[in-house]
Amino acid sequence: MACPYCDFVKRPISGDAPDEFTEALCREIAEFEGPGEARSIFFGGGTPSLLSERGFARIFEALHHRFEIAEGGSSSRSTAGAQSSIGRAGARPSQIEITSHPEITIEVNPDDVTPERARFWRGLGVNRLSLGVQSFDDVVLKFLGRCHDTEAARRACGVIGDQFENWGVDLIFGAKPPSAWAASVAECVRFAPPHVSTYGLTYEERTPFWKQRHEAVGDDDALAQYRHAMDALGAAGYEHYEVSNFARTGFESAHNLIYWRNEEYAGFGPGAVSYLGGVRARNLSRIDTYLTRPGEKEESLALSARETKVETLIQHFRTRAGIEHAAYRARFGSEIEEDFGDAIRTLAARGLIADDGGRLSPTRRGYELNNEIGLALV
Amino acid sequence: MTTPIENIRNFSIIAHIDHGKSTLADRLLEVTKTIDKRLMKEQTLDSMDIERERGITIKSVAVRMNYKSKDGKDYVLNLIDTPGHVDFAYEVSRSLAACEGALLLVDATQGVEAQTLANAYKAIEQHLEIIPVINKIDLASADVESARRQFTDIVGLDGSRAVLASGKSGLGVEDILEAIVERIPPPKGDRKAPLRALIFDAVYNDYRGVIVYLRVVEGRIAAGFKVKMMSNDEKYEVIEVGSLTPQMRAAEDLEAGEVGYMICNIRSLDKTKIGDTVTDLLKPATEALPGYSEPKPVVFCGMYPAADTDYMQLRDALDRLRLNDCSFSFQADSSDALGLGYRLGFLGLLHMEIVQERLEREFGLTLVTTVPNVSYRVTLTSGEVMEIENASKMPPSNEIDVTEEPYIEADIMVPTQYLSAVIDLCKKKRGIHIRVDYIDANRCMAIYQMPLAEIVLDFYDKLKTYTRGYGSLEYRILGYRPGDLVKLDIMLNGDRVDALSCIVHRDRAAIVGRGLAAKLQKLIPRQQFEIAIQAAIGGKIIVRETVKSMGKNVTAKCYGGDISRKRKLLEKQKAGKKRMKQVGSVEVPQEAFMALLKVDDDGA
Repeated sequence: MACPYCDFVKRPISGDAPDEFTEALCREIAEFEGPGEARSIFFGGGTPSLLSERGFARIFEALHHRFEIAEGGSSSRSTAGAQSSIGRAGARPSQIEITSHPEITIEVNPDDVTPERARFWRGLGVNRLSLGVQSFDDVVLKFLGRCHDTEAARRACGVIGDQFENWGVDLIFGAKPPSAWAASVAECVRFAPPHVSTYGLTYEERTPFWKQRHEAVGDDDALAQYRHAMDALGAAGYEHYEVSNFARTGFESAHNLIYWRNEEYAGFGPGAVSYLGGVRARNLSRIDTYLTRPGEKEESLALSARETKVETLIQHFRTRAGIEHAAYRARFGSEIEEDFGDAIRTLAARGLIADDGGRLSPTRRGYELNNEIGLALV
Repeated sequence: MTTPIENIRNFSIIAHIDHGKSTLADRLLEVTKTIDKRLMKEQTLDSMDIERERGITIKSVAVRMNYKSKDGKDYVLNLIDTPGHVDFAYEVSRSLAACEGALLLVDATQGVEAQTLANAYKAIEQHLEIIPVINKIDLASADVESARRQFTDIVGLDGSRAVLASGKSGLGVEDILEAIVERIPPPKGDRKAPLRALIFDAVYNDYRGVIVYLRVVEGRIAAGFKVKMMSNDEKYEVIEVGSLTPQMRAAEDLEAGEVGYMICNIRSLDKTKIGDTVTDLLKPATEALPGYSEPKPVVFCGMYPAADTDYMQLRDALDRLRLNDCSFSFQADSSDALGLGYRLGFLGLLHMEIVQERLEREFGLTLVTTVPNVSYRVTLTSGEVMEIENASKMPPSNEIDVTEEPYIEADIMVPTQYLSAVIDLCKKKRGIHIRVDYIDANRCMAIYQMPLAEIVLDFYDKLKTYTRGYGSLEYRILGYRPGDLVKLDIMLNGDRVDALSCIVHRDRAAIVGRGLAAKLQKLIPRQQFEIAIQAAIGGKIIVRETVKSMGKNVTAKCYGGDISRKRKLLEKQKAGKKRMKQVGSVEVPQEAFMALLKVDDDGA
């Protein structure tokens, strides 16, 4: 059953993902024309844990065949990639030490997690799991239309915690009833995943949730929940390193940091997005056409210098680290001041970003009103 | 083009809005083969997009038709089309002055309406022969007998002589043409006398300058004539005369009784006075024809470019539009809240909407418009008298001796079952009951005197709501009367926003103030910081509403790495903000400046 709030590409299936899908994906990977080295891999954007062991094995084989997957040395800190995707790293991160090299993540649903499967995934080289718990409250899970219940979530946390050092829990706030939020966060902390993501529920067009958008939890309640997560997770020792993400030191998602630094990645699968050579491109998103023409783009956008700069700043301002003046200069050959002086001054005056001389970074209010930063920059 | 004067007929069609005037005109053009049937489109005479979309006539237009009557003679029929809406009533009088007769059109399913009557009286005043026409007789709900009775009983015409027609099917169109020939007298006028031609309208053409529409009353006019305008002695040489078919068709001359156009190098409409008399410079007439009173703007509002940088464009657009429509006025104005813009005066609300729409559509401008108001007359304690067309310019109350506002007399025609609703509405609008005339068993006309200010806000829409669309309205300006009026100010975060000030009656000031603040609270979106909205009367704050600060505005996930999609969404959102005006620290959406229109009578 698909999540009624999610606008990812999806198609109902029963049992295993069909071979034709796996084959199309493998064909796309094999025919990929681009860099040959991958530093991180992320299986996500839906429910990759539905994939059979055979399917996983087949895709890993295709990846290894096409890419040299950088093996971790102490000097290799970060890697790049995308949702079922690969890439090449741009500028080196300045602050964050990543634990898993290379980082290979699968997004999994609690119902799909068994000790055997977890062992199988590890055997393939997967070293990070992202578990879609969403809530430790059955009423909320039902509201969200999730298949699993609290028991399955707890069991999955136990299994993964036993077998993986690097794993994360996804939670959704803004669902009903809002009163369940604090307990979910607290329970999550008790399982001590090194990474926690808290996403606000959004009502996307073309999803079953859209028609209920008027019943959404109010802005003020959602803000209170978000603030509670910041406080509770902060107190538990998590660093709030990105708008929606918290991690213990060294457990930040290397893969997602690629997006947040607006670096390059390749995306494989229907509707997957790539960013290579200054071009943002999206695969065909209809599954039937994807199966016959994998790798074909439904939209390609060669970004102008200005657009690239805007996107780079928007993304960096999602992270606690923000952007260093020197890094911007090195990347674009100009100063943030000359490109965005007015917007930056306004944002600083509004208390949304701060400048410590070396770097510009969002304030706590700048996290809460992150889109306001983007609006000032575009 | 000389046509014997006895074979000319000049007529108008007058009707209530929606009674099928433009469609009937189309049929007349078709039957007389003035326009090839293949080239016909609906509302042929309405050339502006706005006229076609709204199904209304804004501008008068003249068209010459040739008709061979059953008596075997060839006639020239000049139709002078007129607007139907009350805002443009002055255009109707102008057109009628150029005619000897009029078709008074009534929808067989609706019967006589307020404007049918008003227009009929205008025609009677000018001694026109009126031919009653009952239109839309092929509709199932048509009640021809009732329409006949109403012509007889209400208008005072002979209903039994009404012509039955359907503009849609063409039924009865021949009968109408025959009636025009038979019943409307030919024009009188000595073709040998000195030239006297009445200017009944003028339009501006990019290539040819001003095109004057005129009716030759005496003498003749031809290209090469030296003429002068009798009102101001301006002299011109005639370049071309001709008839409108409705395209301009040049002719050798126009003689007494004929209707047509004249081109003579007039640069702008301002130089042309509608109602003026054109005469021959060499053989001038001694006396001008009776003219018209000039339409005076009664409704005023501010128009400001949404982007300050468009101010010059707005100025150019107004200059250009005025070439086409000199019935609106404008003067530069500035607002602390809205920056540089203009104060415009209009004949009515519809006129205002049309001008705004034309400015936006034909000149690509985005405008912020303030709530319309009337012109107030203020006598200061010093004895000085001021005309106030902008509420924010109202002097402090302690300097005012008397404030006066314009009053109108309204004729409101309604089916009897809605009379009590209309009386209710008029009471809320400070109406003074004059009388109710019962027209027949089902309908009556309520006559009220009330402040024009109440009419310009939303009276017409309210009337339609209160009467399920059956009420119709016609009004005349009566003059100024004193009123207990106060200025209502709105403050955002403590700063008075001049563009939101309005003048209201003291008894309703508190209700309106509360209603307005509440409406603004809903219209102004949450922003980063809390916004205080206060309404004040004479500097005293009567209510405070708060727009809470924005809770959170953050996109949780990045659309599977599609950062460009997010950027585009933000760009779209930002473009939407262009309709917002930065007033101090607050972004105010355009609708907020019209919020007063949305405040109900009970303040909700």
